[in-house]
Amino acid sequence: MIEKKFRIKNKLGIHARPAGQLVKVATRFKSAIYISRNGNEVNAKSIMGVLMLEAGHGSEVIIRINGEDEFSALEAIEELIDKRQFDEE
Amino acid sequence: MTEQIEKPFITVEELYQKSQQRVALSILNNTASFSRKIRERELHRPGLAMSGFVDVFTFWRVQIMGNTEIGYLTTLPPDERRRSLETVLGFELPCVIITNNHTPPGELLEVANKHGITLFSTPLDTTTVTHHLSEYLETVFAEKTIIHGALVDVYGVGMLITGEPAVGKSELALDLIERGHQLVADDVVQITRLGMNRLEGAPTGRIKHYMEIRGLGIINIRSMFGIRAIRGKKVISVVVHLEKFTEDRDYERIGIDGKFREILGVQVPLVELPILPGKNITVIAEVIATNQKMRDLGENSAEDFNKNLINAMKDQENG
Repeated sequence: MIEKKFRIKNKLGIHARPAGQLVKVATRFKSAIYISRNGNEVNAKSIMGVLMLEAGHGSEVIIRINGEDEFSALEAIEELIDKRQFDEE
Repeated sequence: MTEQIEKPFITVEELYQKSQQRVALSILNNTASFSRKIRERELHRPGLAMSGFVDVFTFWRVQIMGNTEIGYLTTLPPDERRRSLETVLGFELPCVIITNNHTPPGELLEVANKHGITLFSTPLDTTTVTHHLSEYLETVFAEKTIIHGALVDVYGVGMLITGEPAVGKSELALDLIERGHQLVADDVVQITRLGMNRLEGAPTGRIKHYMEIRGLGIINIRSMFGIRAIRGKKVISVVVHLEKFTEDRDYERIGIDGKFREILGVQVPLVELPILPGKNITVIAEVIATNQKMRDLGENSAEDFNKNLINAMKDQENG
């Protein structure tokens, strides 16, 4: 199992579109993927779960992954959250 | 999947019969030109041609003679009147409609009979006749296409169900009928574009309200479910495309960036629905219809939700 903290940098935070992107990336992998904020952990493959976190600009989330392809999953999520910032400013 | 139908025409006889309710035509002389074909929706007033200018005379259109034309004829001496009418009726006109119940001058009847042209009369004025006939002819000559699928009226929303053969289009339509919705057409839907962006779907000919259910055969929806289960035509508001679920395909999860399918140049909202065993597609179809109705009324669940969420996150950030 691996875990990593992320800071949300795009201006609007994880609203519907970024949540959709995250779920899309997460569902590509076999591993169980979770995302948590302020101690609330939800399945990163569930749209409504991810939206429930209300992770706005500057907030901190933890991604926890467990499974055979956990490293490549983390890499893909890093790419989306840190490098691409959900393709938003 | 779509194919263009050959450019249509109607005969003068069809025009006469099918426009009865709109313009109440009566035959003044005979049915000599009943078999002539009308191929354009535009009408023409032959006033200028009667005065001798025939260079751009659109004689192949339905000709309307109103106050102007009849009034002009009465100002001419008989021999000139005859010459004027010979000029116009010498062309191969489909027919002439005289408005306001005008009594045609004797020469008009004579010359029309000589050239085998049917004269009609109507009690309506020229503007009204033009309006109603144009509307009728527009539906006749509108762009048409045929699409394989089922068209069902779900809560007043015209839903076109498409998908590969045997994916369950007819079964979904049948299930919707069972729940009180109305079948417009199954398997073959004839689609007509009205105006700029309205698409109307209807069944074609003999297969009207019959349905083929695999493993059972052809059933008659009208006899089986009654008159309340069917509908003659319906404007299409949403396309539901059924497809077998595949792992490597992304399906819509949010519903903010809508998808569309183009039919006859019109963009129709599209929902792609993966089929999975045990999933109640009928209930989802009803929700799609309701959601579409809300969107048409300016209410978008996904967008509203997102707006509230973004505001809440901003409030948090600001303290």
